[in-house]
Amino acid sequence: MANTVIGSSIVIDGEITGDEDLVVRGTVKGRVSLRENIFVEDSGVLEANVETATITVHGRVTGDIHATERAELKSNCRVVGDIRSPRVLIADGASFKGTVDMDA
Amino acid sequence: MASVTSRSSTCVLGPQIAVRGALSGEEDLVVEGRIEGNVALAGHLVVAPGGVVEADLEVSSIEVHGEVRGDIVASRSITIEKGAMVAGNCRAPRVIIHDGAKFDGAVDMDVQLPDGLHRGR
Repeated sequence: MANTVIGSSIVIDGEITGDEDLVVRGTVKGRVSLRENIFVEDSGVLEANVETATITVHGRVTGDIHATERAELKSNCRVVGDIRSPRVLIADGASFKGTVDMDA
Repeated sequence: MASVTSRSSTCVLGPQIAVRGALSGEEDLVVEGRIEGNVALAGHLVVAPGGVVEADLEVSSIEVHGEVRGDIVASRSITIEKGAMVAGNCRAPRVIIHDGAKFDGAVDMDVQLPDGLHRGR
């Protein structure tokens, strides 16, 4: 299946919507709304409010995350914002500031 | 799933993805989905079949198989392939329109006009 990749030199300022997996290596500002999986890789920066099924963060996210299935913060990630998801995983070494709401 | 993410290095916007706003960057990009807004890319842009771009574009080069509505400025070349649809003005040193392409707009290749020919351009 086609995979959407935002490359490391790419900056998107606006809105991304869609129905397939998204890999972020560059910068996305604004709003992201997907019904699939988001991977923020080491070089990826999300300055956006995010709605998704699952999100896996290795890079940086500033903004609120609403994941209907799972939100996973890997070690070395930096996340600032509120997370709402039934399953929230924070790995050792991750840096996170915000609230967690698992009642979603 | 992590292995999926390292599979390809090309920047792709897949067929189910829509981007609204400004996109900028310095690498090649393939659009299979939809972009609305502005694109400034120092690289090669491919609008794949089925891809729709409603935006003003500033790129190094572009190859259109899908649909573009907006003005295109390319520092190298604009190629409109068979089956493509482009509505907008094209400015580039090289503009190539293939048989079977639809194009509605003006082309500016910055041609040196011969002496004595003044068309007010």
